[in-house]
Amino acid sequence: MRVDSSFKEEVRKRSGQRFDACFQCLSCAGGCPVVEDMDYNPTQIVRLVEFGQRERVLASKAIWVCVGCHACVSQCPNRVNVPLLMDTLRQMALEQGVEVPEKRIVLFHRTFLDQVRRRGRIYELGLAARYKLASWTLFQDLIAGLKFLWKRKFKFLPEAVKGLSDIRTIWREGDGKA
Amino acid sequence: MEKLDGAIRYYPGCSLGSSAREMGDSFQELARMLGLEISPLEDWSCCGSSPAHSTNPNLATLLAARNLLLAQEQGVKDLMVMCPSCFVRLKQAEREILTSMEKAQELERVFHRKYRGGVRLRFFLEILEQIGLERVKEIMRNPFHGLKVALYYGCLLSRPDWITGFDVAPYERFIEDLVRIAGADPVRWPYSKHCCGASLAVTKPGTSDRLVDRIRHYALEAKAQCIVVFCSLCQMNLELRGKASSPLPVLYITELLALAAGSPNARKWLSKHLIDPLPLLREQMSLARSG
Repeated sequence: MRVDSSFKEEVRKRSGQRFDACFQCLSCAGGCPVVEDMDYNPTQIVRLVEFGQRERVLASKAIWVCVGCHACVSQCPNRVNVPLLMDTLRQMALEQGVEVPEKRIVLFHRTFLDQVRRRGRIYELGLAARYKLASWTLFQDLIAGLKFLWKRKFKFLPEAVKGLSDIRTIWREGDGKA
Repeated sequence: MEKLDGAIRYYPGCSLGSSAREMGDSFQELARMLGLEISPLEDWSCCGSSPAHSTNPNLATLLAARNLLLAQEQGVKDLMVMCPSCFVRLKQAEREILTSMEKAQELERVFHRKYRGGVRLRFFLEILEQIGLERVKEIMRNPFHGLKVALYYGCLLSRPDWITGFDVAPYERFIEDLVRIAGADPVRWPYSKHCCGASLAVTKPGTSDRLVDRIRHYALEAKAQCIVVFCSLCQMNLELRGKASSPLPVLYITELLALAAGSPNARKWLSKHLIDPLPLLREQMSLARSG
């Protein structure tokens, strides 16, 4: 097991948080609604960061499964901001080209941001259609999807912001790595 | 408390005019019946939501901050935000810009404009509270007859405000009173602040099924006849997901209030629900006639 001591520092610096306040009380893991779908629970992720386990952490499912409901940090006696840690780890995993085990979650984020990049707003019908095509899940929720269309629950036509030049600037300057 | 007057500007977010039309339309109705003049922030854009902060912190800040700059330029003092997730993103960007010199300079470099911090971001419940129970009570012409509702706050509304910038806790009594003056009866139940799975409903539907089943199970156990929500993603997940429990209608708080106010246009938005609330509402109407 390789210990990468620069990992802990990098995470600390990027997130602006210290994670060594954790005394492993497991409140975060106990309160996490999606812990059953994680390979490491939130406490373990914090520990693995402290132990310099770069590869294991960045290639984990856990960092992608977290939806940022903030139950963990609300219950943490030491205010360890786990959702912020997860954000930082996801960003590092993408930047470092790690093979992500939760491909659909990354695909969803990318498809979503692509909609924002093009119009400045989300066009839900387009987002649903593009995600379903790209993730090969066209038949999942087909009935619900048809109901959505039938009930005109989606806005049919996309709308774009007038200040699209702002949006382009955001992507150009925000380094567009997403 | 200061008086609320003049026009109210709001940040709708991307779902309000689309998958959350039920909330958008009922909110418009409610505002009209309360005599409020509301208009959206001009040329608002997406806050970036979870996909931005999950993958790129710069995008997250800049996308949300564009709206703060727009509000500043349009002279908006209070910006009412309709969606809990948008609210947290805007609030987060505001905090970053106002507390980090580096972020403030980055914003100025990108937009060639400075954000001075004069826009107050307010979740729509804060505005409702400011309008006050008395005023809302005046328009309740068609109150429910003891409809049992499970108030579901979801996650982002109910976390401590040092994390998200808004905590529903001090508003809970107000919301319960609001629901009572609409003639409904809030039940006590343990799952009002547990996550529905958010976007995992799309990417890992099984996970969201499990979470929604648990939420619905406890709402049913408390004898609730419907769930009342404040967030468009919660609403969609609670209607769409969950396999093991029997379906339960899910109404937005704005729908509940607009219905109790006797909105003449309710059918337009009620027809959009995936779980039809009409049988329940008819039952309530027959109670009204017999009562």
